[in-house]
Amino acid sequence: MLTWLILTPVVGAAVVALLPRRRPELYLPVGVALSLIPLALAGVLFFEFETGEAGFQFLQQALWYEPLGISYRVGVDGISLGLIVLTAVLVPISLAASTSIDRRVKEFVVYILLLEAGLFGVFVALDLFLFFVFFEAILVPMYFIIGIWGGERRIYAAVKFFLYTAVGSALMLAAIIALAVMHARQTGAPSFDFADLLALDLSPSTQRWLFAAFGLAFAIKVPIFPLHTWLPDAHVEAPTAGSVLLAGVLLKLGTYGFLRFNLTLFPQATVDLVTVLAVLAVVGIIYGGLVAIVQPDLKKLVAYSSVSHLGFIVLGTFALTSGGLQGGVIQMINHGLTTGALFLLVGMIYERRHTKKIADFGGLAKVMPVYAGFFLFMAFASIGLPGLNGFIGEFLVLVGSFATLPVYAVIAAFGVILAAVYLLWAYERVFTGVPDKPENQRLVDLSGREIAILAPLVVLVLVLGLYPKVLLDKVAPSTEAILDRIEQTTDFQVPEPGRLADVFVAEGEGR
Amino acid sequence: MIFPDVSWAAIAPEIALVAGAVAILLVDVQWKPEPRVLGGIVALSVVAAAVLSVGQWFRLDTPSDITIPFGGMIAFDRVSVLARFVLLAVTAMGVAGGWRLFERLGRRAAEALALVLLATVGFSFMASSIHLVMIFLGLEVGSISLYVLAGITRERPDSDEAAMKYFLLGSFASAVFIYGVALLFAGTGRLALLGQRAFLDANIVTRPAVLLIGMALVIVGLGFKVSAAPFHTWAPDVYQGAPAGVVGFMAAGAKIGGFAALTRILFTGFPLMADEWASVVAIISALSMGIGVVLALVQDDVRRMLAYSGVAHAGFILTGVVAGAAAEPGIWFYLAAYTIQLVAGFAIVAAVTGSAAGRSGLDAFAGLAVRSPFLAAAFTVTLLGMAGIPLTSGFVAKFGVFVSAWQAGFSWLVIVAVLASVVAFGVYLRVIVVMYMREPGEAASPTPSTAARWMLVAATVSTILFGVLPQPLLDLARNAFSV
Repeated sequence: MLTWLILTPVVGAAVVALLPRRRPELYLPVGVALSLIPLALAGVLFFEFETGEAGFQFLQQALWYEPLGISYRVGVDGISLGLIVLTAVLVPISLAASTSIDRRVKEFVVYILLLEAGLFGVFVALDLFLFFVFFEAILVPMYFIIGIWGGERRIYAAVKFFLYTAVGSALMLAAIIALAVMHARQTGAPSFDFADLLALDLSPSTQRWLFAAFGLAFAIKVPIFPLHTWLPDAHVEAPTAGSVLLAGVLLKLGTYGFLRFNLTLFPQATVDLVTVLAVLAVVGIIYGGLVAIVQPDLKKLVAYSSVSHLGFIVLGTFALTSGGLQGGVIQMINHGLTTGALFLLVGMIYERRHTKKIADFGGLAKVMPVYAGFFLFMAFASIGLPGLNGFIGEFLVLVGSFATLPVYAVIAAFGVILAAVYLLWAYERVFTGVPDKPENQRLVDLSGREIAILAPLVVLVLVLGLYPKVLLDKVAPSTEAILDRIEQTTDFQVPEPGRLADVFVAEGEGR
Repeated sequence: MIFPDVSWAAIAPEIALVAGAVAILLVDVQWKPEPRVLGGIVALSVVAAAVLSVGQWFRLDTPSDITIPFGGMIAFDRVSVLARFVLLAVTAMGVAGGWRLFERLGRRAAEALALVLLATVGFSFMASSIHLVMIFLGLEVGSISLYVLAGITRERPDSDEAAMKYFLLGSFASAVFIYGVALLFAGTGRLALLGQRAFLDANIVTRPAVLLIGMALVIVGLGFKVSAAPFHTWAPDVYQGAPAGVVGFMAAGAKIGGFAALTRILFTGFPLMADEWASVVAIISALSMGIGVVLALVQDDVRRMLAYSGVAHAGFILTGVVAGAAAEPGIWFYLAAYTIQLVAGFAIVAAVTGSAAGRSGLDAFAGLAVRSPFLAAAFTVTLLGMAGIPLTSGFVAKFGVFVSAWQAGFSWLVIVAVLASVVAFGVYLRVIVVMYMREPGEAASPTPSTAARWMLVAATVSTILFGVLPQPLLDLARNAFSV
């Protein structure tokens, strides 16, 4: 099942690559159609997933390279499930939104599909070697997507993106090797199996070093302030589909990595370093929000808002409470949906006006009412309006972090206000007033295709906003298991109001 | 007089190669045939040598099965066979990749092809020898053939210059090596590696200065051949000056021979002094990686870039050498993966900028993805393989030697190595950027020869295949060693 999930995009990429050169108009529709297959598989996965189980499901295993203890091991738990579905949803959407790609379309579709395969691989990998392979391999298609189809400074942005993230992962590779070697010292045989490595006995100082090496790789991906400087460049230069996947899924590799590996493999170091991460997260929230306010460029504004939103996820993760962890996971999905949609919307207006400068617009609500409606809806979702998905995530994070990190939670709450400021102010400047610029008066509203692209995201935003239980019930057991592990292996105990499992998980389904 | 025991089976592949070289020269004198006929003879003798090597592999039952015929000069074991396989693959691919050059050489093609075969014989003996004098003979046979190959397009002054430079510095390095051999002989009274090991086993050397200096000189001499820093200064000039069609083979062959000899000497002859040589090798390794990647980053000529990246790769392989005999399968996987990428890289350079040309500026690759998607894709896979991106053989190779080095306690070296790999990404990305993200200029679409095309397909497929499924090749390598 999971192997098919990884393979279908690869096969799809091969099919697209073999399409005849004379029929370029086929590439994109075939690509979209082929990306619906993994979406269907992800859907099956979601509904077949056994709710209430903390462990990994759909396990598959094959020996890959035995003498070094490397195996192909994949599985899904509540944390990765949502991200897999998110990836599967965003890929067809971002492909369908790429009609403005006018050259080398075939390669573009191939790279997007290969990227999808890599993303699935990262989320299902349960062997650290396998994880690293996918983690690093993702860089290559993304690098090409930014570098070939990006904006004016695309090459600079692509190389910066690649090297920045490669620095982090290089040290993570060293740390992975160190873990395997320690496993060899303690048990006699090296192993990269996640479950085996969990059983390792690591001294606190070793944990701190390894935490730092893993953490650097993930912090660059997230990105955590002050390692975020690659992000605005990459986002602004990337084509719309690239931005959507970058913000929607690639950034989550960082937060996912923290949750999956740092918290579980190095619990003592996690507890020791909570303050450091919390400070950085809060700085990111406030800094990202403040910088977003003053951006003259709509796409850059959304990019910086990601820095702020991901700060919430990091804060929730390192709050080490039920609410914080669950909120973090939910917020990963939420941010993928809303920011993905915002990037799509920015891309749509850019295709019409060939500018992203806020100052170039004004009064668009009169000319493009449907577009304005979608934009406002997604802006509200991103701000965290109750009833929409962003509210659930941010609320859980703030409640969860208040139990252990009250000061930080209070400061972080201002981030929500900042989000309202930068998004609503941008909305005001772009959409309200009279359309006084002649170029803006002739703009056409969204086409049926564009509405169809946005509609699924709107539906998901509403579903998660009104009935988050679909996802929370699947997430909670896995995040609770992480907290259990931290409590068992360290002196740290989650303070009393922190384990609110019974409140957030419906009655009868608590642990 | 005691006549040494002769085992024709042990040297049958080399005999096939020498016979091929002699046949080429004789046929050329007598019939003056087309280069393609001579190419056929090369193919025939390489295939014959490969078949004979396969026979040897099965004749040797276990990794530890070793006989030393010819009075202890030659080791007949799986290590030699494995090294020869890699070497033969590189020879075949090198000749196929640079085939345009041999066609252009016309009357001189016979010389060049014969020299390629003789160089292969030399490096093959370097790998299969277990006696310092024999290693030196192999080194010289191989090196002298390469000096001449570097200057084979003698009408071009920079080719002459490259040959001269290579010859002078190479001879100097050979002299350093043989001086080291002399000192090792002075220290142990033996020239056979097993004898030296036995001597060190049985005796405690109270004043090891002679041995240490001798070992250092041997490492320096071979470090020159594999272009490890700081003995690398010849490499960029020679890689750039020598005709593009043969540089790939030259670089790859010298690396294989050099590392085969280095590992044989250090692991077989002096494992007991590992503490002394490992730290020296580690420093050379770190220097090579650092200097190699940084200087590769600033080159505007693809060949000089590949030369400096070759310095870095020597450093990466040395991280495995540091770890001792346990790393040997990893070292050979690395050598196989890298040298195949190396000859593929130079085959593409030859196809794009001309097989005899002396310059291969980065601009010549602008927009290659549009002009020749095949070459651009092959070069991309090759470069990603050299960079060690996962799912290529280069990643498995790097991973293997890094794990060994970490296990041996050289964690600082591994951290230097992973950081150097990141800089190396930048090196290779620059070329990919130019190929895919620059507009093509006026330049025509390059058309590689059919042989080169097939060779590139083989190299690309192997880079990806052994990246995804490294097990078969790794098992093969492990079966050659008793670790």
